[in-house]
Amino acid sequence: MWLWYDWRAAAVADSNGNIVDVEEWNGWKDTDAVCSRMDMIAHMAMTPEAERLSERFPDAKVLIHGDDELPDANWPIPSSEALAALDRAAILLSKRGVDAAAGDPDRRLEHILRASDELRAAYITIEGRLVEWVGLFLPEARFERDRSALAHKVINCSNLSELADEIGIGMPPKGPTDAEWDSLHDWAQSVLEIKNRLERMEDVVRELASQHLQSLSALLGPILAARLCVEAHGRARLARLPAGTMQILGAEKAFFNHLKTGSPSPKHGHIFMHPWISRSPRWMRGKIARTVAAKATIAARCDEFGGEKWDQATIDAVADRVETIRSENSTPPSR
Amino acid sequence: MGKKRRLSWAVMVDGRAIWTLNAVPKVSQYGESLRKFKGEEYRRWDPTRSKLGAALSRSRKSQYDLLPQEGDTCLYLGAGHGTSLSHLHDHVCGMDNQKDGRIIAIDLSPRCLRDLVHLSTIRPGLVPVLGDARKHAAWGIMVASKVDWLLQDVSQAGQTEIFINAVNRFLKPGGKGLLSLKAASERFSDAGEKEVFNQVRVQLEDAGLTVEEQIDLHGLEDNHCLYYITN
Repeated sequence: MWLWYDWRAAAVADSNGNIVDVEEWNGWKDTDAVCSRMDMIAHMAMTPEAERLSERFPDAKVLIHGDDELPDANWPIPSSEALAALDRAAILLSKRGVDAAAGDPDRRLEHILRASDELRAAYITIEGRLVEWVGLFLPEARFERDRSALAHKVINCSNLSELADEIGIGMPPKGPTDAEWDSLHDWAQSVLEIKNRLERMEDVVRELASQHLQSLSALLGPILAARLCVEAHGRARLARLPAGTMQILGAEKAFFNHLKTGSPSPKHGHIFMHPWISRSPRWMRGKIARTVAAKATIAARCDEFGGEKWDQATIDAVADRVETIRSENSTPPSR
Repeated sequence: MGKKRRLSWAVMVDGRAIWTLNAVPKVSQYGESLRKFKGEEYRRWDPTRSKLGAALSRSRKSQYDLLPQEGDTCLYLGAGHGTSLSHLHDHVCGMDNQKDGRIIAIDLSPRCLRDLVHLSTIRPGLVPVLGDARKHAAWGIMVASKVDWLLQDVSQAGQTEIFINAVNRFLKPGGKGLLSLKAASERFSDAGEKEVFNQVRVQLEDAGLTVEEQIDLHGLEDNHCLYYITN
């Protein structure tokens, strides 16, 4: 005995392939109802028709339409209207799947992080040009100390001599034309605008990452946590990475170069951004990166698999461990 | 201008270029050129953008057999952004699905599905499905009866096994199957891609399929090979 079912009918056939009983479902004009049945079947659950037949024929073997084991029989074939309803449901299900992707924090994090990276790259170039531009007209000015305030100063002045006064230097003999000064002034305005936009954007990254990667953000800081997550193509993959991969995530070029040519292996990738590593002397960075990466994989797993959020005490323990490594290796290795 | 030949009611070969009768007049789907032949609008099938298009222009002996019949039910695994799919639809379904065809297009990526869903609203007869080509249970029920024609283009490890499983479950006896194989997705072999292509051929034949033609797409789509099989 075989019990066959699909989304709109169920049937029982005996061992000779003769149909014994059929149950049909006529609710298929409602596309939503068809969708929920598709879900049911995708999860290998039985439809109500199949359940009824299964009660009537408890020894029939239950199989979904299309299963290899099913013998050939005159299983009820859907009408063309029913098929059209199936197509409508398929399109609706696809739409829902596409809509659901917008709720995926991994994808959202990726866009905002990459956007802020692009904006930061743009910011660095146009801010650099502003400093060079002003420096051309005011060669005496020195901005090493406080570059960031320059844009503000330019905006608050209406011509070059005002700016020279503001900075506290003399006016050079040659200056820009009025139109040129206006362009410079506009440029300073966009520097400031992009800077503000960048800060707002990074705040959003921090907020998203601290929700999506609670423990990892607490350990490494939200921006670095977000970067690791994006680099690993999502939290689910990040949580499955071994610590060694986490350690060199972002240093792929150096790593594959190492495998191919035998150059020294990279000791750290994005994780280098963390002050524990970047502020340590060169010879102990690899050791610290190894410890931090190992802890970071645990934190990522806590986030992905619903573990407890790391508290300050746990993070302090990691900081203590880093301190120990630092003191144990305080002298550089001899060459 | 070369000599014109027809591969089907909607597909025309003009010299080296392939054109399909546009089912959505005046709309260029992916930036391909449009052109009128005797008052009817055709879209140019770009062989460097579509592996099916590349196979059609490279095929030596089965150019007339590669495509399904109009009005057939087709299954397309790994439909991507719908480039090949739109030309296939021109041929199988036509304007307002006048040929009454059905193309089920499976893809895993929500980004691709976004384009496919849009395509399905302007091209009736297309059924986009969000799902993994390997997991038949999740979407197999959408394929109400076995299909006449199956194309797989998934570029992931184990492509051949996925294809053989799909053919066994979904292809009608006497149906046609096309496997577009990306050598770089398989395990690296010292013998090079020629060897990979030959191994896959043997694997297909061991599974009881007849390889009608093996089309190397080199030059149009590097490291790719398309197998045309019947069961």
